[in-house]
Amino acid sequence: FSAISQSTMPAYKLYYFSIRGLGEVPRQILALADVKFENVGITKEQWPEFKSKTPFGQMPVLEVDGKQIPQSFAIARYVASQHGLAGKTPFEAAWVDALADQYKDFNNDFKKFFYLVLGFGEGDLEAAKLEHGIPARDKFFPLVVKQLKSNGTGFLVGDSVTWVDVLYAEGSSRVAHEVPGFLDDYPEVLEHAKKIHAIPQIKKWIEARPV
Amino acid sequence: MPSYKLIYFDVRGLAEVSRFLFYLSSTPFQDYEVSDAEWLTLQGKTPYGKLPILEVDGKTLAQSFAIARYLAREFGFAGNSPFECALVDALGDQFKDYWGELFPYFATCAGIKEFGNSNILRREVGEPARDKFFTMLERVAKENGSNGHLVGDSLTWIDLTVADHITTLNNFSDGFVDDRFPAVLAVREKVMNDPRLTEYLAKRPKRYF
Repeated sequence: FSAISQSTMPAYKLYYFSIRGLGEVPRQILALADVKFENVGITKEQWPEFKSKTPFGQMPVLEVDGKQIPQSFAIARYVASQHGLAGKTPFEAAWVDALADQYKDFNNDFKKFFYLVLGFGEGDLEAAKLEHGIPARDKFFPLVVKQLKSNGTGFLVGDSVTWVDVLYAEGSSRVAHEVPGFLDDYPEVLEHAKKIHAIPQIKKWIEARPV
Repeated sequence: MPSYKLIYFDVRGLAEVSRFLFYLSSTPFQDYEVSDAEWLTLQGKTPYGKLPILEVDGKTLAQSFAIARYLAREFGFAGNSPFECALVDALGDQFKDYWGELFPYFATCAGIKEFGNSNILRREVGEPARDKFFTMLERVAKENGSNGHLVGDSLTWIDLTVADHITTLNNFSDGFVDDRFPAVLAVREKVMNDPRLTEYLAKRPKRYF
């Protein structure tokens, strides 16, 4: 299916499976930026043919005037930088990027537990929680709390929302939802997610989103 | 002009791209090498307990690609349009994904952490990761016009990243990035022959990785 967020011709098309996954952050950035886009859900049957048309054989891709940008972070940064959502100075933008990369590093380990939680792959869930879930969480989230406290504005960088706030809020709220109590030691992180998800354009997207 | 201090270990690693960017733009910087002993006290003072970090007028930036992108934007090596910048970024992200796959082979060869026998790892980890990533890069370079660049018609930080990484792969195993990838090797040639880098390439310490 495809859901068109405005009634006029979209400038952008975002292609992904009909799940949140790696597509959700680009979708939320587009919504936050008030950018018209067509949210295209590719089915498993459609994927093999579509795959060969993408730059890296992966999704999400953002199509802009018929040309594709792959990789969810590149998409998020591209949309964000054109709509004042990537930091107010080059230095702030670099910090937004650094926080995003730090999240990626965390997720590379954490997903060895979290993908099992979501039902992908096979393995011993309890063992993965002890070996990957808990250590990755306790290495990463104290740094997030430290960043929020030292920045002091409720946002991760600067005094307004950036794409990395959206990334972290989606990540932390998803974890807290799928593994109840897992982030209870990090209330500042949960508060941050609530704050970001209360932003009107994001709130509206979350309420109306198909998945 | 701000004062720049790049802080890293005595390796090319994740910081060589940034060093290249300073030399390409003829921007003075302090190329600060941290010894293992100094790292013991410095580590706790860094944002994420890792290097490289970049100090810009005393303010710290972390994460090698965030640093490289920041410098590339300042000096004009990030891409010639927002769309090109996004493609450069996407290739950087793809490099990171590849890096995750390559890591057991890389870390063993580099002596950072042993994951097993390096010959077996080369065959079972290094070669498949290389084939998957460099086949994609070769297609990208060809679709870009085989002009010696991965994106657009001028040097970007992804060209530099790939060029330096090839040096490392070939150090670990001679000819590892072979002539199945001519357009990618041409990207590397263009970097290594850039006149703005000649002096640095001649004088920089010989580093295995």
